[in-house]
Amino acid sequence: MSSAPSAGNPPPPSPTRPHQRPTLTPPSLAATESMKENDAGTSILARQRLNRPVAPHLMIYKAQITWYLSGLNRITGCLLSGGFYVFGALYLVAPYIGWHLETAVLAAAFAKWPAVLKVGAKVFNGVRHLTWDTASMIDNKKVNQTGWTVVGLTVVSALLLAFL
Amino acid sequence: MALRLASRRLALASATAPAPRIFARGMASVLEHTKGEPLSTVSELLSSTTAPTPPSKTSTIKEPEPEKSSKIKTFHIYRWNPDEPSSKPKMQSYTLDLNKTGPMMLDALIRIKNEVDPTLTFRRSCREGICGSCAMNIDGVNTLACLCRIPTETTKESRIYPLPHTYVVKDLVPDLTQFYKQYKSIKPYLQRTTPPPDGREYRQSHEDRRKLDGLYECILCACCSTSCPSYWWNQEEYLGPAVLLQSYRWIADSRDEKTEQRKDALNNSMTLYRCHTILNCSRTCPKGLNPALAIAEIKKSLAFA
Repeated sequence: MSSAPSAGNPPPPSPTRPHQRPTLTPPSLAATESMKENDAGTSILARQRLNRPVAPHLMIYKAQITWYLSGLNRITGCLLSGGFYVFGALYLVAPYIGWHLETAVLAAAFAKWPAVLKVGAKVFNGVRHLTWDTASMIDNKKVNQTGWTVVGLTVVSALLLAFL
Repeated sequence: MALRLASRRLALASATAPAPRIFARGMASVLEHTKGEPLSTVSELLSSTTAPTPPSKTSTIKEPEPEKSSKIKTFHIYRWNPDEPSSKPKMQSYTLDLNKTGPMMLDALIRIKNEVDPTLTFRRSCREGICGSCAMNIDGVNTLACLCRIPTETTKESRIYPLPHTYVVKDLVPDLTQFYKQYKSIKPYLQRTTPPPDGREYRQSHEDRRKLDGLYECILCACCSTSCPSYWWNQEEYLGPAVLLQSYRWIADSRDEKTEQRKDALNNSMTLYRCHTILNCSRTCPKGLNPALAIAEIKKSLAFA
């Protein structure tokens, strides 16, 4: 009598793809089937698919703290890391073109409004993301509360840092 | 890159001691899903989102028999006719007397189709929020038309769009073929080889059954997946919150024996990890489910093996 395979062993390779083990098959090739497009009945549908418009998305979706804060997180992240990359590159290049670019410039950049707001938003939203990684505070009420807390903390911290 | 490939070779070499799951992730693939379907490749490369013709530039079709004491509300509805494929989508305006219309948006749509404009096309079936056919974007939010009450302020106008970033078959009808293909790909059925110990049913304790609460009630209406901006941009490879909720339903089921294989299928950069916890999905679910929490639980179980 054959015994059931234990959880540790992968199942034997299928006869169609003997050289591949199922656990390493890319998901897009693993379990989907191809639909035959040479069927006469579906050829009209297939031709219609070429002309279909895409339903509107960004412009019509209601403004909600969920995706607005997420978009803000990504944009501030790109701007801040882009800024650091540019500063780092220029820092290396500066002596060769006779330009004095030192850490004082970086410090001065962070004393200005845009940078302070960006860093604040990123830091507080980052903490919010880390709590989500532990699968806590992911219900609608908590998401709303923590979202507005992040916005409040960002504004308050920006004001504090500006008047210190 | 070298570490990932090396670990995969290690996993291939030793079946008994595979590399830790977090190092065994695969690479993203581009347009692989369209292999063998050239028309889909062409259509995906060709189509772009253009804004529909705004309501100010289209006609308004009025309530057939208005009375003195009528509460007239204006609806702007997305229209596109595949029989005139070169015409641009437009927003058609309709006015209805709310006193003669049922309370839900679906009642308004049905009344428009019956009495005002029979060419308006939409999906509907149960009218009670359990079949998932009438999923559409109403006033900016994805929900079921049969569960969405018409706001009674007649000064505000309601806007009805099809589910965002779906290919439109006609008017408010989206093409959900890919959504269903993705659902099929996670093998949404019990996979088990050991027979039950008493030879009768596959038994489960009350605690194990409670783990499925909030997961099995999904009606696959696609509201959550089409509310996710990540799904909008990566529809081909990212599974989306609805399908991931269902894959967690099978991972969490104590009677299922292929948990490791199910988790392995998600262990690459695109099918699960395009989720950036935007959390639009849980916000919009018309049944009150929480796909974001299920996805977080999957990520936790993959991270700590």
